[in-house]
Amino acid sequence: MNALVVAIGFGLVTSAIVALAAVAVSLQISVTNFINFAYGDFMTFGAYVAWMADTHGVNFFVAVALGGIATGLLGVAANYLVFRPFMRRGVRPVTLLIAGLGVAFIVQNGIIILWGTDPQQFSVTIGDSLRVGPFLLTTGDLVIVAASVSLLALLHAMLRYTKFGKSLRALSNNLDLAQACGINVERMIAATWFICGILTAVAGVALVMEEGGLQPSVGFNELFVVFGAVILGGIGRPYGAMVGALVVGLMTEISAIYVNAAYKTAIAFGIVILLLLIRPQGIFTALGKTY
Amino acid sequence: MLFFLTDLLVLGCINGIMVVGLNLQYGYSGLLNFAFYAFVAVGAYVAAVTTMGPPPSNFGVETYILQWSLPGPVGLLLGGLAAAAVGGLVFSFTVPRLRSDYLGIVTVAAAFIIWTFINNFIPLFDGANGLFGIPHIIGGTSLSTEEYSLVMAGLGVIILSAFIWASRRIFRSPYGRLLRATREDEVVVASLGRKAWHAQVWVYVAGCFMGGIAGGLYVFYLTAWDPNSFLPLESFFLMAALVIGGSGNYWGAVLGAFVILEGVNEVTRYVPTLGSSANAGSIRAIAIGILLILILRFRPAGLIPERWLHWYPRASSD
Repeated sequence: MNALVVAIGFGLVTSAIVALAAVAVSLQISVTNFINFAYGDFMTFGAYVAWMADTHGVNFFVAVALGGIATGLLGVAANYLVFRPFMRRGVRPVTLLIAGLGVAFIVQNGIIILWGTDPQQFSVTIGDSLRVGPFLLTTGDLVIVAASVSLLALLHAMLRYTKFGKSLRALSNNLDLAQACGINVERMIAATWFICGILTAVAGVALVMEEGGLQPSVGFNELFVVFGAVILGGIGRPYGAMVGALVVGLMTEISAIYVNAAYKTAIAFGIVILLLLIRPQGIFTALGKTY
Repeated sequence: MLFFLTDLLVLGCINGIMVVGLNLQYGYSGLLNFAFYAFVAVGAYVAAVTTMGPPPSNFGVETYILQWSLPGPVGLLLGGLAAAAVGGLVFSFTVPRLRSDYLGIVTVAAAFIIWTFINNFIPLFDGANGLFGIPHIIGGTSLSTEEYSLVMAGLGVIILSAFIWASRRIFRSPYGRLLRATREDEVVVASLGRKAWHAQVWVYVAGCFMGGIAGGLYVFYLTAWDPNSFLPLESFFLMAALVIGGSGNYWGAVLGAFVILEGVNEVTRYVPTLGSSANAGSIRAIAIGILLILILRFRPAGLIPERWLHWYPRASSD
């Protein structure tokens, strides 16, 4: 019983990380309508930029912010250089998927060439375990959860109460109609990539803090856990992705009590497959909706 | 020098068989498979455990199933059949139900699950330690490395040619037409009263069989195999090679395998100015990534487009 409660605590932390990335993926899909395979590597990229700033003596939180901005710019660049020409031509989603694969190759191996494959550490650690209520968490865990919740709350406020958020929701609902209403679609899409990049980088840093080591493959390996959350919540629905992340995070950590922990990620992938097989219609009807 | 060439030819043929198999799946039916290398691995493992016999007693640390000592070619065939069986199991559930991009995600997830399972479940194929000491496919151990490489090159060319011929037959058959029509517009095909999913499942099974055979050849050539040999990323390289070469056209698949997988590999190995040898693999991947995006952007049908196949003289009277 005690092990279960502790696992739920870990699950909440994992959920907080996955939620950040999953909301970013979902928001991007709701606006651009394709699945980006390079997202995992964007996470890694953000973490590496933050790590580099960190090793140069920059304050940790400033370093994370720098990583976020860099990843946002990377997303905007990928959009302009790669994805936008395809979207203008109106190609099949499969083509964009494969193009995203090309971007993933470039980013992941660019990281290897720039920073090598040796595992790296941040100067700060997640600290020692504390008893927080019934859970066994560290200071770092608490900071991650707090950061995730406040960023997502900020995103919610932006989507709900600002003119920018309203335009974004209009855009994801009906692109042509939004354009006819005078919304600058190109600029909104670029802004979406930037915002998603920031969330992705923060998720990447948090992931590295939890996993304990920064390696070029860290984001790509987590990508399909994130996709699991996205699919569970309904593709292209950022609020659904938060719920999906909660379920995926809890299930992976709780399953680690009952089976070999090496199968933890495999279980998340199993959930993805089952979901797509059992509820494909629920997923398809959700395309292009913010909520 | 001759060894260098035959070695290149063997690896080229093995990659060629894989990409030709993938072409049956993605090229003909337009459905993604990012798990192709997992089926290559199944073929490789089954070919290994059915031919290598029990582990030598003096270091009995290897544990694996079957431990048969069948002749090499039989093991090769069993490997192909096992890959086809696993493929049938996976794709008969997923192909009829999923749209192509979601099928792509499911295949990646399946590849990760198969990899994690093989890597961690030691009694099956010795887990992360892998198998080694796999016998040569023919001729015992009397052949030198160079001679064996020559034998394998011959075998590779024969099998690759046979599979290209089979691809051509499937392409020109009514099933091939049905698959292509479904790929272009499923609704039109349905309106004509045809359903393509059983044909799609069969080309998936056939493609997995080819993958399994390629895996078997590979394992007999390398004589060792472990989970690092089939990292999920490898499937993405096969897909890139197919798209660049020309998906839907088996000659495009062969070109992709030889030029993209082999050629780029060799070129990056011999460009010393690009930095340490550790970076060669990364430079190769970046080159393939850039090439993939450029081809998709400016020549979406690939280097050898599918429509070139229609230049063949027709047997019938149209």
